[in-house]
Amino acid sequence: MTDPFVQTRNLTKTFYEESRGEVRAVDGVDLTCSSGEIFGLLGANGAGKTTTLRMLSTVLRPTSGEAWVMGHEVRKDPERVRGNLGFYSASTALYPKITARETLRFFAQVNRFPRERIESRIEDLIDRFGIRDFADSRVEKLSSGMKQKVSIARTVAHDPPVLIFDEPTVALDVLNAIELRQIIAALRDEGKAILFSTHIMSEAEQLCDRIAIIHQGRILAVGTLDELREATGHHYLEEIFVHFARVRDPEEAELESLRRDRP
Amino acid sequence: MDLRQIWTLYRHEIRSALRERSILLTSIILPVVMYPTLLWVGFTGFYFLEGQAEAMNTRIGVSPVPEAHQALVDSLASDPRIEIREWSDNEQAAAMEIARGRLEALVESMPPGEGGGALDGNRTIRILYTEVREGSRSARNRIEQVTDAHGAQWIAELRRDLGVSDTVWADYAVVMTDQATAEDVTRFLLAMIVPLLTLIMVALAAFYPAIDATAGERERGTWETLMTVAAPRSNVATAKYLYVATFGAVGGLLNLAALALSIQWILSPMTNGVGEEISQGGFPLSAIPVIVAGTALLGLFVAAGMLVFAVFARDFKEGQSMITPFYIVILMPALFLQSPNLEFSTGLAAVPIVNVALLLRGAILGDIPFLSGLVTLLSMGVAVIAAVALAQFVMRREEVLLGTGQGGLWDFLTRTLRRGRNGA
Repeated sequence: MTDPFVQTRNLTKTFYEESRGEVRAVDGVDLTCSSGEIFGLLGANGAGKTTTLRMLSTVLRPTSGEAWVMGHEVRKDPERVRGNLGFYSASTALYPKITARETLRFFAQVNRFPRERIESRIEDLIDRFGIRDFADSRVEKLSSGMKQKVSIARTVAHDPPVLIFDEPTVALDVLNAIELRQIIAALRDEGKAILFSTHIMSEAEQLCDRIAIIHQGRILAVGTLDELREATGHHYLEEIFVHFARVRDPEEAELESLRRDRP
Repeated sequence: MDLRQIWTLYRHEIRSALRERSILLTSIILPVVMYPTLLWVGFTGFYFLEGQAEAMNTRIGVSPVPEAHQALVDSLASDPRIEIREWSDNEQAAAMEIARGRLEALVESMPPGEGGGALDGNRTIRILYTEVREGSRSARNRIEQVTDAHGAQWIAELRRDLGVSDTVWADYAVVMTDQATAEDVTRFLLAMIVPLLTLIMVALAAFYPAIDATAGERERGTWETLMTVAAPRSNVATAKYLYVATFGAVGGLLNLAALALSIQWILSPMTNGVGEEISQGGFPLSAIPVIVAGTALLGLFVAAGMLVFAVFARDFKEGQSMITPFYIVILMPALFLQSPNLEFSTGLAAVPIVNVALLLRGAILGDIPFLSGLVTLLSMGVAVIAAVALAQFVMRREEVLLGTGQGGLWDFLTRTLRRGRNGA
């Protein structure tokens, strides 16, 4: 078996907030993601998905633990880590004043894609993502669907082996969300290692090869959908998620049970 | 440091900024067109109003004057711009009328002061007016001209009666000669205007780019996109810094170029044609390299300072309020420079911003003490390095990168110091 493209060991992140004191947003996360795999992080809002992915993309520095992307440790070699991954989320917008083509060129150049291959790479991406008709229009003039295509194209502009999609469908309509999922699946088929976070159960069911259920900063379970079904006896991912969340919060589970039993 | 990557990031910043209408307007269009025009409008308006005041009719109260000096009243009355009112009331009533604007001034003939009674008929003329009204000041000037002429005439008549001939009297005369050429006057005016405008323009031209490069990225949602590219944070910070510095320096230089090209037009209402001397050497060409270097130094310093403040802002509004105090502080030296007596001493050459302003003034006047010039370069060099180091330090911090920290630079420094102490 080949080495995983992404690996974390006891990855932890704590923040200090004036009102709440020390907050442990991610608590000892272990995960791996290999080539040709979509690894899903499934959790409610505030579960620690984005913080985990931000640590992997080196936007945040882990408080403790380790993480590697293509063998490069996130704290020791952040530039190489970023050079080996593409990060896409609802909060990673495009520059409105430059054209789609300029956007792709900028991200390829700044991520150190070989200079002599940049122009042919841009043409490939323009064709692949159907950008040709608006390649020379400024991003601010594009529709949200067009922007989404450019945004994915810029994420893969430097052809990174690892891709991170942090709740990518949050702001999209149904058709655009479907199209995006198809693109992500195609990228997986090309051999990319994809980390995909979502709080939408159906999305995780459809797309992910393995799913990690993350709750209050901790990974409660990891496995394929079938493995999770087998472990819990539940069929739907929503039920599986609730099952693990209750195990994590026995008091909350008891209260919920009492509320349900009340006439 | 990967210079090619910095160049890519820098070009990207510049390209985006040049397509941003608000930045283009404040950093390029305003310096080139707006400020020369505004200056011209300001000067023209000022001198137009002054001309209006000159032409305005003046109401002057005149208290009873002895027969021997009736010619003074006649002279005042002969000026078509002066309306004489015989005044028999007391001085307080006159003061009230002047304060209310119903009278511009009061002329009183009084007995002479100590030692002034040696000549028969000598009198003291007192002019009551208020300095706070333009009309009253103008009335005082007109009365002064008339009383001076009347006094001279009266003395000449007395002198002749005493048998002192015109030839003997002419042996004692005061003749004033202004040795300043029109060129000198132009230089003096430019030395007052150019440092002030350079400071304003560099600060203004860097203002919006500094916010755009930081808070603007956050507001557009591109900050996190940029943070995930395979560039060291220091390269990103350097490119942003160079972008802001470029706009600051170029904005300042464009403004100066526009001023140089339009200076005749701007100064013409002020100098009655002295502005023409600009094309004949009024603006020393030797000053140009110093001005370019000084403006570049200002741009480098101002850019780093503004970035340090702006990087904490989460949106444009916050950015504006965070940078404004710094903007005002760097404009303060311009106030001191309005004193022509301020010398470009070695001590002042050590004060950033003030030193560059004095350097520019010295370059235009053709007088830069070598030591002061050297100290200026060293002082600004140190200030720029310190400001850039602080900007780099701040921009690498996680709370700044994510915009999660509360408050601005001061809060950040306090928190960092507190953490440092706790850690130690």
